[in-house]
Amino acid sequence: MNPMPSSARSGPPRRRGIARDLLWHGLNLGLPLLFVVLPILSFVLVSFWTLKDGQIVHVLTLANYRAFFTEGSYLQVYLSTLALSAQVTLINVVLATAIAVFIFRRTPRTRFLILMSFMLPLFMSYIIKIYSIRSILGQRGLLNEGLLALGLIDQPIEALLFSRTAIFIALAVLYLPYAILPIYLALDRIPANYLAASADLGATPLQALRDIVLPLGRPGIAAGAVFTFILTFGDFVTPQMVGGTQGFTFGRIVFSQFGLALNWPLGSALAVILLATTLLAVALAGLTLRREHVR
Amino acid sequence: MRVQPLLHLENISKRYGSVRVLDGIDITVADNEFLTILGPSGSGKTTILRIIGGFEGIDGGRLMFEGRDLASVPINRRPFNTVFQDYALFHHMNVAENVGYGLKVRGRPKAEIAAKVADVLETVGLGALGARYPAQLSGGQRQRVALARAIICEPRLILLDEPLSALDVELRAQMQRFLKSLQRRLGIAFVFITHDQEEAIALSDRIIVVHRGRIEQEGAPEQLYRRPRTPFTAAFLGENNLIPGTLTSAEGAVCQVETAAGRLQATVDGPVPSPGSPVLLAVRPEHITLTANPAPGALLAEVAEIRFLGANILIELRHPALPDTLLKVRRLADGGTTGLRIGQSLAIGWAAADAALLAAS
Repeated sequence: MNPMPSSARSGPPRRRGIARDLLWHGLNLGLPLLFVVLPILSFVLVSFWTLKDGQIVHVLTLANYRAFFTEGSYLQVYLSTLALSAQVTLINVVLATAIAVFIFRRTPRTRFLILMSFMLPLFMSYIIKIYSIRSILGQRGLLNEGLLALGLIDQPIEALLFSRTAIFIALAVLYLPYAILPIYLALDRIPANYLAASADLGATPLQALRDIVLPLGRPGIAAGAVFTFILTFGDFVTPQMVGGTQGFTFGRIVFSQFGLALNWPLGSALAVILLATTLLAVALAGLTLRREHVR
Repeated sequence: MRVQPLLHLENISKRYGSVRVLDGIDITVADNEFLTILGPSGSGKTTILRIIGGFEGIDGGRLMFEGRDLASVPINRRPFNTVFQDYALFHHMNVAENVGYGLKVRGRPKAEIAAKVADVLETVGLGALGARYPAQLSGGQRQRVALARAIICEPRLILLDEPLSALDVELRAQMQRFLKSLQRRLGIAFVFITHDQEEAIALSDRIIVVHRGRIEQEGAPEQLYRRPRTPFTAAFLGENNLIPGTLTSAEGAVCQVETAAGRLQATVDGPVPSPGSPVLLAVRPEHITLTANPAPGALLAEVAEIRFLGANILIELRHPALPDTLLKVRRLADGGTTGLRIGQSLAIGWAAADAALLAAS
């Protein structure tokens, strides 16, 4: 009896190895495809359809995108929402960086406590947070009563609530923890002896902040900015809750196309524009980073 | 000849909570000196360095620099620079930026910084690597960058916190030679921290042995090796055979010691302990003689182990009266030691001058 050729003997286990590789590659690609890419593609597809007499017409067209640029006040609302989100992002990044540096400078034991207290809002329901903000900003709210009691004003300021300022304040307050966390985590990764070394070489605390802390915190600052921008730009509830009629932001337009006008194709097109805007923000944030800053 | 020392740690004490880590530490550092603070881990040697650097406060004593108290001088104003154990190179700055950082924060003009950085990189042998990032360097190169960064501001004193401990054996020997020659060339005082006694002996002008937050002994490497004064120094610097006993009489520096193995002779360095006090007799393995044909009354021991170590042979012997002590004897391997057998009985001996008498702690 002839011995079996070696290739035949090693065949079956080899084939099983290939099958296993295929399964893993399939899962690696398939899971994101199934749960992320397909849902997005579905509304991208819908955005190229149109609505006629309450019925969706399954013909590909750019009409919805044309409407964004030419009809009504879509573009104008888009631009004002962009400006609002940019402002909220700017103030939040400044505040969150200051807070994160403050926490970073504490002793390790107190750091956790302070960080947790800033993260507490993340454990609370949105509805509680938004009504607390309303009760603070309202006509008979904490802020007005306080200013009245101090004699700084003699009539409550009405513009505190149901104004663009109110939306600005509410969004900034709501999304501040989302900026603090990534910035703090980036600072937390700075080796302790870097600060010792910079002081040893003659740097003042302010120079150490400029040369060590902020450059190494940059990935976190970029992430915090992206989080804040994405969350504010897409928020369609907060502007309504504290902005009243003033609060007509792009998120609310998208929402109204789906929820009120029942124009899903136009709503989808606006949603695609929203998505493209946030992806652009992510790309911009990525551009500000140098490879050397990430270790 | 009393010259004012460059740096003087006067009676420094330090505690962490209820743990006393430093107790009455008194150290002077002279200009241009290579001083090593040697001790096992937990001895307080790193704390001493951190106190000099300003990273750690003190609970008692004074830290004087050229007669000026440094208590109120913050880290960034102290005229010292530190080479950290893991170098602490800023990974987001390239080599030139790292090295020039001390000048940058002092507001020096860019051209001056660039010239000086090139100069210092040349000194440490890294002339062409200014544009590299720390992650692109080898361990020895990082070490040199850390040194360059520390010397560029021309400090009066450089503090080195076990800088060679992360390097492999060959590179370490090479860096030791480099450190020593650099220190000679620059004429800056080095305060070097290590737990490696061989490294300390090879590099230092003077060694301070620290143990449990106190100074055990200080002196030139050769002095410490030849004349240890405490059992700790005797055991920590090189190998030593320690035999416990009681001092019976002394004639000048030569003492008679009663041990379990009989009456032995030793030489004392410094004040002679009072007769009757417990002492230790310390003999280096290379100072013990072995004789196959013992004279009457000789000290007899049995060979327990023979270890060939290349250039040396280490013979371990056991004396019946000293069951807890393996006597170690070192011999050059080229001599007539091939006839040795385990279990063989040999007469051991030493010159009185080679046995140091230490007060037992």
